[in-house]
Amino acid sequence: MASITYTNATCIYEGSDKLAVDSLNLDIQDGEFVVLVGPSGSGKSTALRMLAGLEDIDEGSIEIGGKNMVGVPSKDRDIAMVFQNYALYPNKTVAENMGFALKLRGVSAEERRKKVEEAAKILDLTEFLDRKPAKLSGGQRQRVAMGRAIVREPQVFCMDEPLSNLDAKLRVQTRTQIAALQRRLGTTTVYVTHDQVEAMTMGDRVAVLRFGKLQQFASPNELYDRPANAFVAGFIGSPAMNLVTLPVAPDGVKIGDSTLELERAELSKISEAGLSEVTFGIRPEQLELSDSDGVDVVVDLVEDLGSEAYVYTHAGTGMELVARCNPRTAPKLAESVKLRKHPDGAVHLFHPQSGERLN
Amino acid sequence: MTTPRVAEDTEKSTTVEDSAVAPKKKGRKFDAWGAVAWLVGLGFFFPVFWMVLTSFKQEGDAATSPPTLFFAPTLDQYGKVFDQGIGPAMLNSVWATGISTLLVLLLGVPAAFALSLRPVRKTQDALFFFMSTKMLPIVAAILPLYVIVSNIGLLDNIWALVILYTSMNLPIAVWMMRSFFLEVPGELLEAASLDGASLWRSVREVILPLVSPGIAATALICVIFAWNEFFFAVNLTAVNAQTMPVYLVGFIAGEGQYWAVLSAAATMAALPVILCGWFAQNKLVRGLSFGAIK
Amino acid sequence: MTSTSLTADTQADAREGAVAERVRKIRENQGAGVSRAEGWRRRGPLLPALIFMIVVTQIPFLFTLYYSTLSWNLVRPGSRQFVGLNNYIAVAKDSQFWRVGLNTVILIVGVVLISAFLGLLLALLLDRAFLGRGVVRTLLITPFLVTPVAAALIWKTTILDPTNGILNWVLSLVGIGPVDWIGQFPLTMVMVELIWQWTPFMMLLILAGLQSMPRDILEAGRVDGAGAFQLFRELTLPHLRRFIELGVVLGAVYLVNTFDAIYMMTQGGPGIASANLPFYIYQRAFLGFDMGQAAAMGVVVVIFTMFIASFALRLIFKSFSGKEEAA
Repeated sequence: MASITYTNATCIYEGSDKLAVDSLNLDIQDGEFVVLVGPSGSGKSTALRMLAGLEDIDEGSIEIGGKNMVGVPSKDRDIAMVFQNYALYPNKTVAENMGFALKLRGVSAEERRKKVEEAAKILDLTEFLDRKPAKLSGGQRQRVAMGRAIVREPQVFCMDEPLSNLDAKLRVQTRTQIAALQRRLGTTTVYVTHDQVEAMTMGDRVAVLRFGKLQQFASPNELYDRPANAFVAGFIGSPAMNLVTLPVAPDGVKIGDSTLELERAELSKISEAGLSEVTFGIRPEQLELSDSDGVDVVVDLVEDLGSEAYVYTHAGTGMELVARCNPRTAPKLAESVKLRKHPDGAVHLFHPQSGERLN
Repeated sequence: MTTPRVAEDTEKSTTVEDSAVAPKKKGRKFDAWGAVAWLVGLGFFFPVFWMVLTSFKQEGDAATSPPTLFFAPTLDQYGKVFDQGIGPAMLNSVWATGISTLLVLLLGVPAAFALSLRPVRKTQDALFFFMSTKMLPIVAAILPLYVIVSNIGLLDNIWALVILYTSMNLPIAVWMMRSFFLEVPGELLEAASLDGASLWRSVREVILPLVSPGIAATALICVIFAWNEFFFAVNLTAVNAQTMPVYLVGFIAGEGQYWAVLSAAATMAALPVILCGWFAQNKLVRGLSFGAIK
Repeated sequence: MTSTSLTADTQADAREGAVAERVRKIRENQGAGVSRAEGWRRRGPLLPALIFMIVVTQIPFLFTLYYSTLSWNLVRPGSRQFVGLNNYIAVAKDSQFWRVGLNTVILIVGVVLISAFLGLLLALLLDRAFLGRGVVRTLLITPFLVTPVAAALIWKTTILDPTNGILNWVLSLVGIGPVDWIGQFPLTMVMVELIWQWTPFMMLLILAGLQSMPRDILEAGRVDGAGAFQLFRELTLPHLRRFIELGVVLGAVYLVNTFDAIYMMTQGGPGIASANLPFYIYQRAFLGFDMGQAAAMGVVVVIFTMFIASFALRLIFKSFSGKEEAA
């Protein structure tokens, strides 16, 4: 059983009065692949390192498999970690790197060799077993770092931005392989990244962190369809969701000269909160070009990605809107077009000050 | 589900040492400035060259004007030097240098390691203290040292020098080795700790192998300074424990104007350290600047 | 699967204050116990070295302070008595002491500045790649490695000797008569020998500075239209400043203790013309056996040196120990 539970876990920045991680509560199931994502300084790496025992748990607790880890040193936690810069032992060969933990545990040389070769086969490292890290490419080193973790068959895998030092193409390849590997091994994994694409594609559930506080912990779909606050809404999804603060009208919100109608339930939530303005969110793919109705905008930039195109526009008052469209029918620069919401497009309403979701 | 296979890397093998500074060009150029550099280099080196040259001359060829460049070389002078009992002095120097360097490493490596870990406030102070001891003029301490040493009965005993040389070199050694320890990425220790290694084990298996070239360089620097030391040696030793520099001075008293044999003695005194220094060139700067400059 | 959500942050001052409060409380709870044991474990390995240094360096100095208050001549047993600050008064009145002090300052300043300048020139020469650069560098650092007494001996005899020394022979080729260098210019000759020995040190420091300079700044300068001399003055020299400063300050600290060269070349003479403070004190203590006086002089030298040393320490700590990486 290797479920992980963070209970009000808090960590203070060394030598300062700021909280790196603030009362984090997470409930991770055995075998789950959880991604911690957020911008720099969000505390995601610190939260991971608290789990691994590399940062102190200043308040609250972290349990692994039901056992409280406060005060337990790293070497006794049975956790394997893949570091961002791989942290391979430079003076040891690949085989020795991978077998080090087993050697420390007193596993026989034969048994070690067997396990190392097994892992090497999975990761395609067999021909490199006798080389030292200095003679490997970045991608190979990354695999050795993974191999070192796999060989140990630990309770938990911790991964701290393991892909960020790889070039783009390799990153995409390795991403799928890590996910598949985890599914095969079934080990509980906590994975840190700043790249929301990685988070969305790899995680069973994703925890979004900001300034040390948890924003939302849910499946990728839920994060995408029902972000809990304006920050999550703007962070998840690329290009980002359009977020604009709009004045409230009797039957909806005013965009420019036109009014966008809202549901009855949504309107009542807005009036309950007594708001004259609301933060309105809509994803680029929920906006479409129209000839008839909608908001008047001027095209600033068109990004043609081959399979789709994104149109960056601005409305009269300087409000910027991004919409997705078909690359073959994309408008031209400086053209004046109309944007309207997809008939069943979802809208997201947030409190203009607190950012919390209203609908 | 099939076993996930990792596809071929598109990258080629690269080594870790991607220098951030411009790579050294294999300079085949031999231009005017190169020639000037050569001239200056030879000029600076000349006195040493002359010293070694003179040591192979007969006395008659040594102190002449104009100076003799071509002569029949002889090893007589070295023979004389050995006859005059350079052996014990050599041994004393080797002993004082060797043991003090060993002590410096024994005391200094753990100290440097402790100072390189997450700094507690006190460690900064300790560092400061170490450095400050190096800056006090030793002439202020020589008097009580003389009195203390003679009271304990260690006057003219090599062990007095061993202890003093250790204290002389310890600050430089600690600072140098600390800077080497700091270069070890913290992640390596973390990885070892996660792999299940105790602190002692991680130091032994991961850190020491990485730091050992630095420790070797530090040892060489200690050897250089200990061997060349004169002030303590001349004041605290007489006949039995005299080191090479003291012996050399004594030699002059006896041989006065005999330049060839003097040169031979001087060469013997200076040569071991010159060779050490040639080997440890890069690390010399580090040690001399207290590790401030890499 | 459920989702949890929290309010997005608003950075009101009240909230920051609340956070700082929490941090304080947490730290209080942690205060004793764990961190103290940890602290000892961390500092433990430091202790042997620290204790050793304190015993061997600080205790003698305390004794020196004590001796300086005594009138004590080693040759006259039973002459030890407390005389308070008399020794210091005697030192203040001792014109020789001040003359020697002046010599010391001239020596340090002269050697340090000239060798720093020469070191800069040599470093510039060595910074470019040319055939045999490694060999030349090896040749250039040798003077620093030669045992100081041996070096002083060679200079005194084979180079500066009035009759058979090389220098006079070379000068005779251009018609300059034989000069008794050491006899006539004792302090200067000592300084020359010291400059010869110390220039390599300066050169190495400055060379390290030159090689640590990021090349792309120079490239940017060139593209912006700067010529070689301008590049040097505007970009290189400012970068080198801290290395030169370090060399000057460290050199001064090391040079305060100069003894070997004077002992070997001039024995401080004629008279005290080329004596520096360490040599003068040495004479007082070991040739004159006047411990009290010598001790007082020693203390004065220490005070004088602490002044320079504090610069040195501040320089080393400030401009160079930038990143303290935690292991």
